[in-house]
Amino acid sequence: MESQYKESNNIGGIESGGGDKEVKVANKRKTRGWDVVLRFLAVALSLAAAVVLGLDKQTKTVAVTLVPTLPPVNIPVVAKWHHLSAFVYFVVANAIACGHAAISLLLTLANKGTNKGISILIIILDLIMVALLFSGIGSALAIGLMGYEGNSHVRWPKVCNVFGKFCNQAAAAIGLSGATSLAFFLLVVLATFNLHKKH
Amino acid sequence: MASTYTPTSESEKAVLAPEVRAPSRSFALADVILRFLLFASGLVAVVVMITSKQTELVPIPMPPFVRIPRSANFNHSPAFIYFVAALSVAGIYGLITTLISFFSLLKVARGSKLVFHFVIFDVLLLGIVAAATGSAGAVAYLGLKGNSHVQWRKICHVYGDFCKHIGSSVAVSLFGSIVLVLLILLSVYALSKRIPK
Repeated sequence: MESQYKESNNIGGIESGGGDKEVKVANKRKTRGWDVVLRFLAVALSLAAAVVLGLDKQTKTVAVTLVPTLPPVNIPVVAKWHHLSAFVYFVVANAIACGHAAISLLLTLANKGTNKGISILIIILDLIMVALLFSGIGSALAIGLMGYEGNSHVRWPKVCNVFGKFCNQAAAAIGLSGATSLAFFLLVVLATFNLHKKH
Repeated sequence: MASTYTPTSESEKAVLAPEVRAPSRSFALADVILRFLLFASGLVAVVVMITSKQTELVPIPMPPFVRIPRSANFNHSPAFIYFVAALSVAGIYGLITTLISFFSLLKVARGSKLVFHFVIFDVLLLGIVAAATGSAGAVAYLGLKGNSHVQWRKICHVYGDFCKHIGSSVAVSLFGSIVLVLLILLSVYALSKRIPK
């Protein structure tokens, strides 16, 4: 649509006014390109974060002494992501962010920046996604740190010496989610910058 | 400051005044009030968190079964330390930007550049405050409910006052992050409506 507009402008022969408009259109297309790239990254990264933590499960056989006179019994112990409510919140937050990023990517591609109401709505939802993702990262990080370190003051034992792979996978998911929230942060800044430029 | 304006800009202002000045003033006023609320919520959350110390007699599970005094303090958990640091930053930022916003309210015209810079820092701070709320909330929930899968016992039936302090502090910081969202929305709205703030 933009190229059509440009061509008709050139055919019209208004060369002096056309140059300025061309620059404007090119500028707009560049920022929209960044918008689409960032949204695509957000979809991929948040989906990866949700899936990596959602498939996190580790089974380990632990020797437990039930009766002191008998030899220790090997019992399989399972660590699953939904045993910890903070991880459940993290996965749900990332799934919501992924859904929002996918829908807003489609809307951005279909909208082409013509409908102002939709773009404002997308900015507002982007902002809420920033808050949601950061709180999810904070909660998962706090619980993950508790798993690595334990807490001697309230005698909560550390678990990551037993479930090493589980903890590493959770850390990877938190890193991916951090990249997603950075993408959403850049999206909000980019959108505000565009509004500021128009001023 | 207003006296330094040239006569031409004075007359321009007089022409623009009736339609532009009223929404500009109300936006700037709402901005100042919200920023003050951010400062207040940061201050309250930090004060409530650092006054949460509680000492209780706790039975120890080892052979001399005596009850010894053990205290619960916020600096026993890294999540709460991060919470205090983040909310202090939010409070100080709130205080500074309240003053900046207030002084630019006295000065009538204000460029959109200031609003743009405010938005970036506001979004950054929203991330920090939301992460603090999430981490403190997660640890507080663990203290309230415990987790049987990893043998983390609940502690809030012992340290009741401590948990009440933590819970109210998290609630206040949630309010603070909602205030931040409203601030950013206000700025974005002002930018999109081209209201000169």
